[in-house]
Amino acid sequence: MRKTLTVAWREFRDTAMTKAFLFGAIVMPIFTIGLFIIVIPLLQTEDEPLDGTVAVFASDDVVTELQLLLIESKSPLQEQLEQLPEIVTQDPIAKALLTQTTKSTITVESIDETTANEMKSLVLDGTYLAYINVPDSLVQSVDSEQELTVFIPNDFANDHTNFITRNAENAVVNARLKRQGHDPTTVRALLKRPNATTMRVQEDGELAKDNEIARAILPIAFIMLLWIAAFTSGNYLLTTTIEEKSNKVIEVLLSAISPMQLLGGKIIGQAGVSAVILGMYGSAAIAGLVTFALMDIVTFSQLGLFLVYFIMGYFMIATMMVAVGSAVSELSDAQSLMGPMMLLFLVPMMLWPVISQHPYGSVAITTSYIPPLIPFVMIIRMASATEPIMMWEILLSIGVGYIAVLCMVWMCARIFRIGILMQGKPPNILQLAKWIRQG
Amino acid sequence: MTLAIELQDVSKSFGDTKAVQHLDLEITQGLICGFLGPNGAGKSTTIRMIMSIIHADSGSINVLGTTALAAKDRIGYLPEERGVYRKMKVGRFIKYIANLKGMRGSSLHKTIDDWLERIELPDVRNKKCEELSKGMQQKVQFLAAIIHEPELIILDEPFTGLDPVNTKLIGDIINELHHKGNTILFSTHVLPQAEEICDRIVMIDNGLKVIDDQIDTVREQFNPNIVQVVPLHPNVDFLQFEGVMNQGTVNKDGEINLYLKDDACQADVIGNIASTIPIRGIQVLQPTLTDIFIHQIAEREGSETAEKTREHLTNA
Repeated sequence: MRKTLTVAWREFRDTAMTKAFLFGAIVMPIFTIGLFIIVIPLLQTEDEPLDGTVAVFASDDVVTELQLLLIESKSPLQEQLEQLPEIVTQDPIAKALLTQTTKSTITVESIDETTANEMKSLVLDGTYLAYINVPDSLVQSVDSEQELTVFIPNDFANDHTNFITRNAENAVVNARLKRQGHDPTTVRALLKRPNATTMRVQEDGELAKDNEIARAILPIAFIMLLWIAAFTSGNYLLTTTIEEKSNKVIEVLLSAISPMQLLGGKIIGQAGVSAVILGMYGSAAIAGLVTFALMDIVTFSQLGLFLVYFIMGYFMIATMMVAVGSAVSELSDAQSLMGPMMLLFLVPMMLWPVISQHPYGSVAITTSYIPPLIPFVMIIRMASATEPIMMWEILLSIGVGYIAVLCMVWMCARIFRIGILMQGKPPNILQLAKWIRQG
Repeated sequence: MTLAIELQDVSKSFGDTKAVQHLDLEITQGLICGFLGPNGAGKSTTIRMIMSIIHADSGSINVLGTTALAAKDRIGYLPEERGVYRKMKVGRFIKYIANLKGMRGSSLHKTIDDWLERIELPDVRNKKCEELSKGMQQKVQFLAAIIHEPELIILDEPFTGLDPVNTKLIGDIINELHHKGNTILFSTHVLPQAEEICDRIVMIDNGLKVIDDQIDTVREQFNPNIVQVVPLHPNVDFLQFEGVMNQGTVNKDGEINLYLKDDACQADVIGNIASTIPIRGIQVLQPTLTDIFIHQIAEREGSETAEKTREHLTNA
């Protein structure tokens, strides 16, 4: 065991203690965490106040409405922030980041008679922030073919453009309502949609609040973590095995340890690498959840089961990668064997919409017991399901999955033992099957 | 006497190619044995089977009283195909292999430094393996094979790629290890090297063992009955002397080989020639391993194949 651990430590050290790895697996997640903390405050600095005069050619009631709206309206960023979910805006950390916005000071100048060309030059030289032309027919009738036109300088910010345009549109609607004898504020209040809370009735009669955010985010997050962590270290396994073959050091190693010790050491070492990646990216994900006060969408049992399926997925990917690595002499040769293997792992991705929409459907249930799809399918199912997956299903999939892992380790060991000393033309799938029988 | 290596009726094939055929081999502990043969003879395959790196199709292999797999820490092995971790530092590479061979402890660093000095590479410890020349890498690998002071040392073509100075250096270390009581089996296709070092030789060709004996015994068995003479005057007809069957041409050193009849007495012929004509020197020609090997091949496969092999060995 000590020799296996010696190999494992070398594998871990030579992979995880390199500049490339430190950048990819540690700096990048830290950078991602930093984004959550830094980007939102940075957004505030983009919220520059809009001060100046807007020229308007329109009927008096439209001009009046526009003046009212611009005085009462909030800054563009404030309007966007208010559209965020309550769960975010009520969180103390997020709230602290989001509340400070700036106030704009805009005056409206009504223009009696002018031409579009003159106004364009005045807008261009900065005399006016914008020029708004509202044909009266547009207020009179919703069927008018004339258009509301807003002239702005070329470098006008998008959010400021939207702000001016939206208020101009609302001013026209308000004017229409008033001409029909309605109060716009009352009408808008009446039209405001209530927020629905979905409660799922459980079989035992209990009620559970439906969490759509969790069902949307969790499977993506878990699968991304599994994919990044397991495939990154799996890829390292592939390349280090090929490297040991191509630089001929393999025979020196096999004179000191058995192929099984070497194989075991490599897989354990890269499992450590995978754990570091998982830890770093997982921390980044948790930091994101904490920032947006979404920690309650993930439970400890989900995390525990994710870990169980992650280990299963890692071993499935690792054994396949190391088997391919031992069978070929060049990285380019590995592509022909990697193709079918990657297709296999893409099946759950292709079935994702079906599984997430129908986590208890026949496709989801069937693929839950087919290695190596098990970890991917079960993670999607557990995270998408509106009620917990039956315990017997989870236990059965774990049992089938880990029996499959043992079989894959056994097959990989047989391929490894033969392939590791082979040079020259890479084998095809049939030859690999033959090696498994011979090994 | 305790056997370090024992092979009984070992065969190995790769597809249709019979790499090793019914090989029996016994190497006693403390012996230094040359495992000889041309390229492709089956030497490396045999060594890999001894090391349990590949498995024999049939027969049994016993190493240090068990299998090589169980006795790996007691065996040092330098494979034919050299390999290092290119990006790893030399000191770390040797330490890693030593760790895999069961060596631990703080004294390991000093042992590595001492050995690096011994193989005349004192300043490479912190250099990456890829920064070393091919010859230096080979010495590092040789060191990795012997650092744990194994009972049995198996070296596959240890001198290939080394200059004469380093060949002598490694040869001296092999001799030292032998005198300490280590059993050494080394393969080579450069026969004169084996002649200098070995107590015993095993020759194989096309997977078959053709010679297996003490080197002096082999020489006696393959005495070609040739007398080499250096006459003062080159144009001498040596066929006039009784017992001389044939006379070779004069080589660049003025030497002439005289092929004697089977029943001729070497001492009588030498005495007769020395007392009759003026000569600078005369001696019984000792057969080289190359001669012996060629003789074996000629017996089994004909003179044409034997000459091709001689050419191959000369160019090696």
